[in-house]
Amino acid sequence: MHFICCIKQVPDTSKVKIDPETNTLIRSGVESIANPYDMVALEAALTLKDTYGGIVTVLSMGPPQAEQVLREAVSLGADEAILLSDRAFAGADTLATSYALTKAIEKLAQKTPVDIVCCGKQAIDGDTAQVGPGIATRLGYTQFTYVTEIKEIDTINARITVKRKVEGGSEIIRGPLPAVLTVELELAKPRRASLPRLIHSLKSEVSLWNAAAIHGDNQKLGLKGSPTWVKKIFSPPLKEGGPRFDAREKPRQAVEDCLKTLLADETFAFQFLNQWGR
Amino acid sequence: MPENSKGIEVAEILPDKCIGCQICVAECPVGAIEMSNGVALIDPEVCIGCGECFEVCPVEAIKFEKKGRAKKMRKPEEVSEGALAGYQGVAVFIESVNGHGATVSWELVGKAKELAEKLNTRVIGFLLGHEVNDIAREAIAYGCDDVHVIDDPFLKTYLSKPYGKALTDLCKKVKPEICLIGATPVGRDLAGIVATNLETGLTADCTGLDIEEGKNLLLMTRPTFGGNIMATIFCEHHRPQMSTVRPRVFKTPEKNTARTGNTYHNGFEPPDAKLPELIDFIKDVAAGDGVDITRFPALVVAGKGACDLETMPLLEELAGLIGGLVACSRPVVEAGLMPYERQVGQTGKTVAPKLYLGIGVSGAVQHLVGMQGSEKIIAVNADPKAPIFNVADVGIIGDYKKVVPLLIEQLKKTIQRN
Repeated sequence: MHFICCIKQVPDTSKVKIDPETNTLIRSGVESIANPYDMVALEAALTLKDTYGGIVTVLSMGPPQAEQVLREAVSLGADEAILLSDRAFAGADTLATSYALTKAIEKLAQKTPVDIVCCGKQAIDGDTAQVGPGIATRLGYTQFTYVTEIKEIDTINARITVKRKVEGGSEIIRGPLPAVLTVELELAKPRRASLPRLIHSLKSEVSLWNAAAIHGDNQKLGLKGSPTWVKKIFSPPLKEGGPRFDAREKPRQAVEDCLKTLLADETFAFQFLNQWGR
Repeated sequence: MPENSKGIEVAEILPDKCIGCQICVAECPVGAIEMSNGVALIDPEVCIGCGECFEVCPVEAIKFEKKGRAKKMRKPEEVSEGALAGYQGVAVFIESVNGHGATVSWELVGKAKELAEKLNTRVIGFLLGHEVNDIAREAIAYGCDDVHVIDDPFLKTYLSKPYGKALTDLCKKVKPEICLIGATPVGRDLAGIVATNLETGLTADCTGLDIEEGKNLLLMTRPTFGGNIMATIFCEHHRPQMSTVRPRVFKTPEKNTARTGNTYHNGFEPPDAKLPELIDFIKDVAAGDGVDITRFPALVVAGKGACDLETMPLLEELAGLIGGLVACSRPVVEAGLMPYERQVGQTGKTVAPKLYLGIGVSGAVQHLVGMQGSEKIIAVNADPKAPIFNVADVGIIGDYKKVVPLLIEQLKKTIQRN
């Protein structure tokens, strides 16, 4: 079987800090990592390969440095790595991104038909969760989002059964292959690279594909193919907040003052003392 | 201005301001800009000093001061605006949950009404499902002028492909200029399909929607970069302008059953594809209690600073006194003290109780975006500089181990007195 995993290189947003003086983002020293959701998707693809046999191709779109995350994927067991890198791809929103990835997957499928595309649920820098469904729609594959468990693949009837998160619970759903899966973190814990694989990954080749290589329509790629534009970026408004009472010296007084301030709002106090009308 | 070896005044990136959007990379006519460590980097030897990048940068992260070159807004694209004029109305996808409209859909209808007034247009409801007439009536009561329904047994339960096709069909037929969808599991699954089919722009998880005066464009504001910054996005040349919005970002409008509106029924051609089948539904009990923290009028929220086992019973008692429930921030879930279902914040739930009482919550942006809509916010934290105080109506600086028992004691007295 042929499994494709899409990986995005992202800034480690959990390490991003805000400068409290200027209320702006401190970007220096923030390292680039593979999107954690995508690493779970890779683990899912590698586990499927271990169980059902086949190959895992990893695919990323980004600047040349994004090669790093693909090499990491190879060190974990991916067989082939493709990096879509071209100035024509730059500035892509989710629509243009899913277009470029789809064209690449179509090209890969010509060589070896694709059974499953694994993506992370979302990327931690943008949190849109839109690229997975975009790829599924363009390819016409069955779409399974928020997957928490892959139950089984019925290779004879070309069907997959997964468990996915929905409002208020989970559903078990079975559908035809090929399929696009977007996965939750809880699906799997990414493996660690073995030393031989690590060495192999350093020597292995990451194929670089440009816009011409995927036979894309230039009007649909990158900034040109992106309907959405960023108008402005701003820090969340800085607020001052209400009064603060210091309980470090006179705790009793502080708590009393706090409650007094809170209940000075009569409408609120009425609702509160009536236990919100229950 | 720095010059390169050819004596050309070149542009410079301010790395701390750059957000890595890559617009300049795409616009540079000579390919002088590359991404490096998440920010743009200009090769001064390749740069021709044209200032193109300076003009397109949305965040003023490019320094360029060549004479006679003033910063102007992005050059307009050649698109026939006539094609866009045919799109009218603000549409909302009405999600149904057990025979009723989802609350988030009504919140969006309320917002759509505001937007429609500014645009001088109608509010349209898109309703998919089977035997959903009651929901259509509800939609009108909440503020829809027109409800377009596809009522088909095929749409009885949500499946990506049929729903994706049905909503795409409705958008193509009705041509709304704006289409809003709740950022629920169903809404997020669906929105990407429809936007891709329509080849239009989609902005996820917006926390603010407004109309740009003069241009009548939808301005969509959302937290990005892990909630650290806000971005305002727009979609100028494609319709509909699509956006998903998280539940509880906007207020539910008043329901008026006397309101009248039009209901239109539309036919449906199911997609020509093999479809998945639902095998089982497992109700959420993984967390043990399956409570929905968003439904409680008051919450005591435990943060990293109050992350210990002994304190939990005290917080439970406090929550009981204020008529609410104990919830928490992300580190408490990560420490295994509370289930994920109780987590407030960007990766947890968005809450807007009447009273939010944060104990040891420092107030990381990711947490704040999930609770800023609360009516009253009290913060207890030992660090006087904790950002939570900036959004709190009232704060207590001090050790929660001392403050919480005092709060319990005094609240008991206050309640007894009344």
